[in-house]
Amino acid sequence: MLIHFKNLNWGFLKAYAFTQIKLRYRHTTLGILWNVLEPVLYLGTLSLVFSAINRMELSDYVVYLFSALVPWRYFEATILGVMESIIAGEWLLKKLAISYFIFPLTRWLIAAIDFFCAFAVVLVILAFVKPIWTIHIFILPVSIFITSAAALGIGMLLAVAYTFFRDIKPLATTGLMLTFFSAPILFKADSMPMGSLQSELLVYHPVTYFAALFQKPLYYNCLPSLLDWQVTAGIASVFLGLGIWALHHFTPRFYFYL
Amino acid sequence: MQEIIKIENVSVRFDHHATQHRSLRTTLSNLAKNRRAEYFEALKDVSFTIDKGETIGLIGRNGAGKSTLLRVIAGVIKPQLGNVIVNPSSRLVPLLELGIGFQAELTGRENCFLAGALMGLSKKQIQAKLDGIIKFAEIGNFMDEAVKTYSSGMYARLAFSLATEIEPDILLLDEILGVGDMFFIRKCTARMQKMIRSGITTIMVSHNLDFLVTQCSRLIWLEHGQIRLQGEPKMVADAYRKLGDQK
Repeated sequence: MLIHFKNLNWGFLKAYAFTQIKLRYRHTTLGILWNVLEPVLYLGTLSLVFSAINRMELSDYVVYLFSALVPWRYFEATILGVMESIIAGEWLLKKLAISYFIFPLTRWLIAAIDFFCAFAVVLVILAFVKPIWTIHIFILPVSIFITSAAALGIGMLLAVAYTFFRDIKPLATTGLMLTFFSAPILFKADSMPMGSLQSELLVYHPVTYFAALFQKPLYYNCLPSLLDWQVTAGIASVFLGLGIWALHHFTPRFYFYL
Repeated sequence: MQEIIKIENVSVRFDHHATQHRSLRTTLSNLAKNRRAEYFEALKDVSFTIDKGETIGLIGRNGAGKSTLLRVIAGVIKPQLGNVIVNPSSRLVPLLELGIGFQAELTGRENCFLAGALMGLSKKQIQAKLDGIIKFAEIGNFMDEAVKTYSSGMYARLAFSLATEIEPDILLLDEILGVGDMFFIRKCTARMQKMIRSGITTIMVSHNLDFLVTQCSRLIWLEHGQIRLQGEPKMVADAYRKLGDQK
């Protein structure tokens, strides 16, 4: 299985990912600046609307919302991008012997670059809005690593399924939408009445723990709990392992389904 | 002679379900009705070897398995049965169509870097070859225009120029010389002859028998996914023509 990574053409992976980003903004006036402006506009609009709905002070809500929404957008973009990557790579995969891992990794790299641009913007905004900063934010690279691994693994599993069954895409999109609206990203978990069904269900919601990896250091000024780490690292390991295995195992059959 | 490619009992079959029906509903319905998969055998128990420096021509009617065989050698298709062994130290460039790795929105220059990276070349190596590529392709200032604005001839010249400038050890060609005008074909033929003389191994698919007879050291005639005849080009071409006359 490791031979796939050994034979990966990293030079092409990098060149292809940067080409895709460059092409995205080729005919725009502001060019690559959109990579920073687009998340600012999106997050700004969402903050204004949902701070009013949630009746929270805007500056407080912005910190809460941004801390988990930006990682969620990265998580979602990675899963959907990686899922479509094998089908989208048909133009090359049917003509050249190239590792099938190239396209999922390229999509992940593109999502990661977008995420770091958006996250940098968020940190700048929070620098002005957030009153207290603590040392806990230095744990964020670990949070990003675990989130990346989980998203890549889930994406690779879906990429395999999508190659064989084209019905997977709408199902995955709907599943992600449901996951997002049911997770404590737009609303706070403690805004639910204690002991209510909703608050009980949030304990079993996996995104509660992934969100905590970012919300706790950035909003609550504390470290994620041991349970947060265990649940998220467990999910990430299982899905990444399964994703790599599935992609490796089904590769010889892909050609006939592209 | 040093053996560079070995094809051992290779069989490839295409599943009709895979190529036609990809919905979950069809799959579940087939499972429920216990419907058996229907296969089309593109290659059946094909075996042969190719020595370093040989120029092989693959001939046969449409659907005989020529392009599938090229894709198997290129490693794009993994055969269900048999083995394909390609000398691992050889750089194999499959020109299954012109412009593999090209993106329509990118300029000629950007495409050279991207497709070069695809072939395993570094930026520096491509930069060093760029003048030669531009000179052969004769596209001058168009090198910095998006390739979607190129004429088919310009596109073909750039793609062929790039692929052959990479200096492959094994070159796979699938009917690509049918694309350009006669000047392009003449120019490409001259370059290929130069490459053949330099010891490169070439395997090409073409319906142009006269071209293959003059360029190849051996012809392989495929029929219904099997080797019908192989050997000295003129002998194989005559036998193939004879069959055509009979039909």
